[in-house]
Amino acid sequence: MLSLTLKEAVHKLRDGSITAKDLCEKCIERLNKTQQLNAFITETVDVSRDSAAETDKRRRKSKPMRWRKLEGLPIAVKDNFCTTGIRTSCATTMLQNYIPPYTATVVQRLQDEGAYLIGKTNMDEFAMGSGSVDGIHGPVRNPWKYKFTSSNLENQQTKPIEQVSMRNYHTSTDDWHIAGGSSGGSAAAVASGVCFGALGSDTGGSTRNPAAYCGVVGFKPTYGMLSRHGLVPLVNSMDVPALFSKTVDDASILFNVMAGHDVHDSTTVTDEFNHFTLPDNMNIKDLHIGIPKEYHAPGLSKDVHNAWEEAADMFEKAGAKVTQVSLPHTQYSILCYIVLNCCEVASNMARYDGIEFGHRAANEDSTEELYAATRHEGFNDVVRGRILAGNYFLLRQNYEKYFAKAMQVRRLISEDFKKVYASGVDILLTPTTLTTAPTYKWFTERDNRTSSEEQDIFTQPVNMAGVPAISVPSKLSTDGLPIGLQFIGQNFKDKELLTIAKWYEQQVQFKQLNLDYLDNVS
Amino acid sequence: MLLTKLTCRLCFQRVSRNKNCFCSKVPKTPIWEEVDHTRIPNVPQIDQEMINHLERVSLVEFNNQAGIERLSKAIESANKLHMVNTDGIEPMESVLEDRMLYLREDKVTDGKCKQEVLSNAVKTIEDYFVAPPGNIPLKTKERDYGSNSNGS
Amino acid sequence: MAASMQKISSHICQLCKRRYLTFSYKRSSSNSKSKPWKSVVGLEIHAQINTESKLFSGAENKFGGPTNTQVSLFDAAFPGTLPVLNKGCVEAGVLTALALRCTVNKVSKFDRKHYFYADLPAGYQITQQRQPLAVKGHVDYCISDKNSFETKTANITQIQLEQDSGKSLHDEKDRISLIDLNRCGTGLMEIVTEPDFSDGTDASAFVKELQKILQTIQTCDCKMEEGSLRVDANISVHKSGEPLGIRTEVKNLNSIKSVSKAISFENETRSFDNEIDETVPMRDKEVKTDYRFMPEPNLPPLHLFDSESVKTVSSKMSVINIDDIQQKLPPLPEDTRKRLEQQYSLKRRDVAVLVDNSGLVDYFEDVMRLSPTTSAKLVSNFIINQLLGVLNDRKLTIYKCPVKTEDFGKLIDLLHTEEISYSTSCKVLDEMFEHPNIAPEDIVDQKDWRQISDTQVLTNICEKVLEEHPKLISKYRKGKLKYLHTLVNKAVIDSNNKANPRILKQIMEDLLDNK
Repeated sequence: MLSLTLKEAVHKLRDGSITAKDLCEKCIERLNKTQQLNAFITETVDVSRDSAAETDKRRRKSKPMRWRKLEGLPIAVKDNFCTTGIRTSCATTMLQNYIPPYTATVVQRLQDEGAYLIGKTNMDEFAMGSGSVDGIHGPVRNPWKYKFTSSNLENQQTKPIEQVSMRNYHTSTDDWHIAGGSSGGSAAAVASGVCFGALGSDTGGSTRNPAAYCGVVGFKPTYGMLSRHGLVPLVNSMDVPALFSKTVDDASILFNVMAGHDVHDSTTVTDEFNHFTLPDNMNIKDLHIGIPKEYHAPGLSKDVHNAWEEAADMFEKAGAKVTQVSLPHTQYSILCYIVLNCCEVASNMARYDGIEFGHRAANEDSTEELYAATRHEGFNDVVRGRILAGNYFLLRQNYEKYFAKAMQVRRLISEDFKKVYASGVDILLTPTTLTTAPTYKWFTERDNRTSSEEQDIFTQPVNMAGVPAISVPSKLSTDGLPIGLQFIGQNFKDKELLTIAKWYEQQVQFKQLNLDYLDNVS
Repeated sequence: MLLTKLTCRLCFQRVSRNKNCFCSKVPKTPIWEEVDHTRIPNVPQIDQEMINHLERVSLVEFNNQAGIERLSKAIESANKLHMVNTDGIEPMESVLEDRMLYLREDKVTDGKCKQEVLSNAVKTIEDYFVAPPGNIPLKTKERDYGSNSNGS
Repeated sequence: MAASMQKISSHICQLCKRRYLTFSYKRSSSNSKSKPWKSVVGLEIHAQINTESKLFSGAENKFGGPTNTQVSLFDAAFPGTLPVLNKGCVEAGVLTALALRCTVNKVSKFDRKHYFYADLPAGYQITQQRQPLAVKGHVDYCISDKNSFETKTANITQIQLEQDSGKSLHDEKDRISLIDLNRCGTGLMEIVTEPDFSDGTDASAFVKELQKILQTIQTCDCKMEEGSLRVDANISVHKSGEPLGIRTEVKNLNSIKSVSKAISFENETRSFDNEIDETVPMRDKEVKTDYRFMPEPNLPPLHLFDSESVKTVSSKMSVINIDDIQQKLPPLPEDTRKRLEQQYSLKRRDVAVLVDNSGLVDYFEDVMRLSPTTSAKLVSNFIINQLLGVLNDRKLTIYKCPVKTEDFGKLIDLLHTEEISYSTSCKVLDEMFEHPNIAPEDIVDQKDWRQISDTQVLTNICEKVLEEHPKLISKYRKGKLKYLHTLVNKAVIDSNNKANPRILKQIMEDLLDNK
């Protein structure tokens, strides 16, 4: 049942071939069996069971009722989306006991269409990171090549929060792979079959990166299509709520439920949103694909390069026009991101002082002392480091040199995309990440900033320009890990992007991870 | 002798004249520009005055030498931006700069939710939030950040 | 000029009790001690916008609500909440900008200004530092007291929209601050002036004029005691011809009186400090707090239109047309003053008093409407010099004046035609307050207060007086003119105080000259 796609599950729920209760119990069982992946921070199994029961009750009623688009469907939501009455911690000490009194718009829209929350997923603290290893609840483990053994299952306990804060918390000697970040928990949840779709956020690749590592679809829509009301911000001018799913069609279904103007978010476009379904066929011969040469960056692994080449060649042989293009400022995007990210972080984190919400330190000598102590106890090194760097870049004497400069480079990056699309290219094809999912050991040898600089280079420029992009699993590497390829589209042409991605997915027929064998393990 | 094979300009393979060369559009080698260190400014020394100033405006501490190095590394990365020529380029603050800002009608649609507003505060007194006295500058603590700081 | 020791002095303002610092450094003394100190004052005025809801949230904007009941999650800076701009605030800002003769920027932007304070939950204020709503305006106003009357023009640098902060109640004993966020996020218009004012009287006169303008266009209720209008003053003291001296900031002045007093106090103190120390100013850059301004990423630029450019808008979204708002601009105090001057040939000084006092212009013009042939000069004069006084004594406003404008006009007519004397008219006015239903001419008749203007009757009285006092006549003839007045007074008494003094005097003079 859990290897169904979202689309299939929704159909089966509608026609009654599976009950919501059965589906819910299966998901909860898978959740329990995969605890050691540490994909969830908060599990809302009671809420899930109640919602599933409610769905079945609605079906049994004699009067016909509107069967909502996602009726009875369990989804997971990254723990930086506010959910009424349910802890939203952003994997940080600062918000570890924060219970929002409101729900994020995109989550509400999914719930209004009958989906229910199975849990809040694990992430990097405040979404700062590209490995999902820097949160207070410990790292997320990639289900691919993960050795689930009964001894592991036995050792699994809920980690007490007081113990976590150090990067090298996990002392297992197993060489497991990271899930990617910062939305690793959501990616792992979908990949391991716990749910049929999940929400993440994408600021520099935080959804596409873990999607590639975990072998699932990761879709970042155009900036302005999905409301950020209720999403705890990292970089307001780049954050986008994003989706994980098993197939491109699934992503499209979720997107259509969530998209559209929100009066609570002034950065959503006010244009009327025209709902769509993706065609099953498309004429590939009308397509013009661009291969940006700068995306062959230093460090690109052979496996990923081969997958990219095979995909480009496949499109060309099928009759599409494929040309090499240039996005000359690509390599500067990540540097630009460092400045803009740190500056926004310095600003966005200024509200954490312990007075209205969040952690509050015990020092009451003065407001300044209280704030400083609260922020020292509440933030990890990564967050603090970005705040200090951001304030450095925003100092009066540095503003022009760094912040204004970064904004100028941002325009150049955005112009790169505009020029390429103006020349007739419909879509760009690139790798999503430099390599397949690294091991935890390898990854933690680097500091957070270096990792981001390396892991986000292909995904980050997309956020600079606001254009939509999607990572689709293409094949496995020589060592059995998934490789994701990225399609980048034009502003507000999300449907076109998804259509092409769907065609590609149909060609490669990527075999999803199947953990059904865990059902037989007691 | 007629040349029957040509070298494809894209992939440098030799192909028969009669056949269309199919060569991948994906580049075979990385093409990133080397960092020209002569074109980028040096990372300044982070002196004690700067440390104090940043800690005061951030209300966050560097904590240790590693913290200061983190900042230096961030500045080093940011300095590389100066390799890009941005003369005459208008800074881009928002990708929605050409869009019109949505305006809300002047109506009361919010508030009257005192319980929710206070629900997450650790300390409240009679519906007020509670803060210690303000306008008292942070005590500058004696901290040794090692050799990186000047004149500390 | 060698700069040596930096001096930072901390003071507590005696009026607003807030701490402020002054920054200065010493230099070698010059020989400028003989020149007088001049001060240069600039103002930053924060006016709360009179809208139903706040600037970026839908919470209610009302004075005095129960603690933390007018607070949305955005106002309390809950993570994930976002600002949404209130159209009413923008319209109010544009109307104010037009009333202050500013140029409205077609595109303006919002910024974050960062600082930590308990009543600022987000750790930053959303304001418009780089590209504000409007720039470069001016206001004409009058400074008047008993002895002098002067008209001046103050220049406006810019007007920007920004958020107000919450309120803290300080409990010194328990060493805590209690924070109420009801006011947090209320829309403010910050009106920044050039340093055009020379002293407290000047600055406070300007603030009064600004109040009148804002109240006329109804964008701010200007209740300084409630905090809906607050003034910060920047004061520099220097000697004529030399660069500006120490800059002092005095913040949060919340009454016209305190504006005047605080600035005067600072002037004296600065001048005093300067006499002792011969200090010169620090460069501003070195002393100002670094607010680390950053563009507000959650608010794309605000576009405003005029009747031409609005045609290019294809979106169905509501837009703001500056020209439409211009049409809605009512007559401003200065417009009214100019009109009264021209229409009724009144003096600027008198017109200023009429406009200064709320409701008086309407009363005056109603009188003139009902009695068009009456002397406008006399009407305005009598309103200013008599009616206002009586209202004050009885603690009434003009709106509660029991004397109908029609009757007031008739009273003035009686005075104008000399049926009653000036002093009698004051008595009649008192009676009209007591008995508002009796017409003034009836009061005059009842009290027998009509003046005698009949020349024959008055001649008889004069001749009788002259017959009775030959000695006074001869004294007068010897050149002692004061005896004319004595004779006139005697005649007035004989007439039971009813003689028309002007005519009586004339007759007496004639008789004396011709006898």
